[in-house]
Amino acid sequence: MRLEKCWFCSSTVYPGHGIQFVRNDAKIFRFCRSKCHKNFKMKRNPRKVKWTKAYRRVHGKDMTQDSTFEFERKRNRPERYDRNLADNVLKAIPKIDKIRVSREERHHKNRMKENEAKGQREAKKELEQSISLVKAPSALQQDPSLTLPKTIVKVSQQKSEENPLMEE
Amino acid sequence: MAASFASRCSRVGRSLFGGLSNNSPGLFTTSHEMTCNNYFSQQQRTFIQMRTVLKVVDNSGAKKVMCIQALKGKKGARLGDTIVASVKEAHPNGKVKKGKVVYGVVVRAAMQKGRCDGSEVKFDDNAVVLVDKQGQPIGTRVFGPVPHELRKKKHVKILTLAGHIA
Repeated sequence: MRLEKCWFCSSTVYPGHGIQFVRNDAKIFRFCRSKCHKNFKMKRNPRKVKWTKAYRRVHGKDMTQDSTFEFERKRNRPERYDRNLADNVLKAIPKIDKIRVSREERHHKNRMKENEAKGQREAKKELEQSISLVKAPSALQQDPSLTLPKTIVKVSQQKSEENPLMEE
Repeated sequence: MAASFASRCSRVGRSLFGGLSNNSPGLFTTSHEMTCNNYFSQQQRTFIQMRTVLKVVDNSGAKKVMCIQALKGKKGARLGDTIVASVKEAHPNGKVKKGKVVYGVVVRAAMQKGRCDGSEVKFDDNAVVLVDKQGQPIGTRVFGPVPHELRKKKHVKILTLAGHIA
């Protein structure tokens, strides 16, 4: 029994799932489900289809190089069965998974770091510009502690302009 | 039926586009071809039955062969089955001549075949290897990949001649 990788989306194909397509040049394409198979028949390039692992790797969304990936490399040499070795491998698999997941999370966090500062800047700008949606401008004028220091707008002119517009 | 409709719509489309625009025919026809390609790729692959033309992938001399009868199987032959066929196209000097009735083993089928582990295999085309009545291949070489379903059907000789086993 062997767990293969889907050619299109790179997810694991478990036994009993999927279709494998053998091309005449003897290259075998395995697909995990008909969604990937149909995309392949449409001749879509997985590197350009957003939800595939290939796209995410190419565009730097997911980790590309890591030592934990070495453990999953395909080895074509059959190993003689050794009970101790098998036992050690079975114990190591969850540990390696945990490490890989934590490294991927770290990569994701690094990628999203700039969003925090950007969010702060945008929030500040929104406060400056649209505070009138929250509190009436006249209230702000009377109680200057509610606003940010720079942004007090002369309101009386605006009000008189608004009224004829509303009457119309 | 879907294929014929698609070919009809492509012919109509091409004539329309040819009349309308002479400047950039390439652009229009390629976009229309792509939509027609989507139609073609949704073909329903079925059994190999009477009148199915198959490719011959050994060096027996024949090139194309038309199935006359699928031995075993009410609906038709699948991957690994034997068929009776008539040679439609042959190399000029080969062991097998045009018009001869031969037996063949289907080594590649576009219709998917279920494997015992639950997965399915399908190939790119329909191909056959000519054999004699006893099941021994007539040719001495086999081209392209063959499935290992042949081992169960006792066509071991074909497997040994094959370059690649899928």
